[in-house]
Amino acid sequence: MSDPVTILGIESSCDDTAAAVLRAGGEPALLSSVVSSQTDLHAAFGGVVPEIAARAHAEKLDLMVEQAVAEAGIGLRDLDVIAVTAGPGLIGGVLSGVMCAKGLAMGLGLPLLGVNHLAGHALTPRLTDGVAFPYLMLLVSGGHCQFLRVDGAEDFTRLGGTIDDAPGEAFDKVARLLGLAQPGGPSVERAAKDGDPARFALPRPLLDRPGCDMSFSGLKTAVLRLRDRLVADQGGLHAGDVADICAGFQAAMRDVLAEKSRRALAGQSDLTGFAVAGGVAANQTLRAALQEVATPLPFIAPPMALCTDNAAMIAWAGWEAYRAGHRDGMDLMARPRWPLDTASAPLLGSGRKGAKA
Amino acid sequence: MPSDTPLILSFDTSAAHCAAALLSGDRVLAAQQVEMGKGQAEALMPMIEAVMGAGGAGLRDLTAIGVGIGPGNFTGVRISVSAARGLALALGIPAVGVTLLEALREGHDGPVLASIDARRDQLYLQRFAEGAHRGPEMVAFDAIDDSWSLPGLMCLGNRAAEIATKLNAETGPAPFAPAPAIARIAARRYRDGAPRPAPLYLRSPDAAPARDTGPVLL
Repeated sequence: MSDPVTILGIESSCDDTAAAVLRAGGEPALLSSVVSSQTDLHAAFGGVVPEIAARAHAEKLDLMVEQAVAEAGIGLRDLDVIAVTAGPGLIGGVLSGVMCAKGLAMGLGLPLLGVNHLAGHALTPRLTDGVAFPYLMLLVSGGHCQFLRVDGAEDFTRLGGTIDDAPGEAFDKVARLLGLAQPGGPSVERAAKDGDPARFALPRPLLDRPGCDMSFSGLKTAVLRLRDRLVADQGGLHAGDVADICAGFQAAMRDVLAEKSRRALAGQSDLTGFAVAGGVAANQTLRAALQEVATPLPFIAPPMALCTDNAAMIAWAGWEAYRAGHRDGMDLMARPRWPLDTASAPLLGSGRKGAKA
Repeated sequence: MPSDTPLILSFDTSAAHCAAALLSGDRVLAAQQVEMGKGQAEALMPMIEAVMGAGGAGLRDLTAIGVGIGPGNFTGVRISVSAARGLALALGIPAVGVTLLEALREGHDGPVLASIDARRDQLYLQRFAEGAHRGPEMVAFDAIDDSWSLPGLMCLGNRAAEIATKLNAETGPAPFAPAPAIARIAARRYRDGAPRPAPLYLRSPDAAPARDTGPVLL
């Protein structure tokens, strides 16, 4: 067994400022993981405003690092490696994280590693459950939705993904349409509890096409039309209408994710498990459906705090890169777009700037 | 390096440049400034290493860091401020935020009107004058009027000549380049226990409140 290595992870690619200290090199020990959410700052705008996010990250990152190091019960001098999200994400936040990490690495004389945020999510089952390669990962969050076959810490094959919105975006939008609180995931799930999923027929986009690609934009629009029709007919919505729409929307989302997961799993061999990550994996209805589809493979859903954006996953992905011999220089670039799988044709984004993710 | 002489590293990326300087007492040991429209995030740390090397000092010898906090390019300001906060935390030394308006005026004793381009035909303005300080604030170029005038006023910075013509004032070059100016100001302030450097934006983020406020609940 090699000597333990203590890694500081830093994450600031969306609306969470996070830092974590991980001890790896033997049985991994997460010494601390702190997250400061900007939800309140963005609440009035119905979504994350990039400039507001960037401003908040720039004045919070070093404070979160201090807190993570203090909670870990160590000093900055006990760190061995600095790992930071270098993309993909909102560039303002990513840049602040990368620059703070460079300052720390240079000042402490430590190696620096730029980590792909998606690799952080995709490798989390190895941190939490010691899952061996290869496994299938469904990454499903506010910004992303893709199936990844994970054959190694740098070996990802995208089997499919959304061609438009991410499920988390759709949950947020539906919540907005119905006057429910942001973030939409928890409020839609809560409202759906008392709803009848069969009352309104909502589409299951792309289920009629082969493959694992998904689309949620049409589902969102269908909810908008349904709401407008009800409002026109009755002059507003009853609480029961809101509950039924939420239940119907959640059922459609469940059916799409479950069927596409079934197809993704059916096309692969040798898998050690089916893992999920991302905030949407917190939804109990979706989670139960995915668990059922996984059978007989083990279903791995990391604890919620490690499913949503966090820095522990960045520290872990940094560790995997570090032990593979990678090192980044002080000229490390922040990348707004950084697909994990560069071989597959891009699903989202193209042209001069390249694929989004 | 004599221990009683403060050694200050300063840097700035708030405009279309990347600049760094190393100051010992009031002597600039090394300074660099490269004009660049983008790429400051990649260039800054190597430039700091080069300036430290040219000045013959190590990071552990530093007494404090001075950093440009704008006003200027939002992303550029955050690049330097984030790096300064990370570096200061690692070294256990203070980081001092210095505005670029203060940096323009550094080394000039009389009344100064400092100006920095705020795009869209606007300027960030600050007047430094005994008993007659004003700003910093964002002002449309066309709205700069006589209320900014003072006897003996010297206009420094972006569009200083045009502003000087408007106000019937003098103009000239700023006495120091940004990084050395920031270092000199930081050398005077690092013991003050000021809060950690934060960007000075002077312009609100572009963001409109959500349009769809949801349906009437019956």
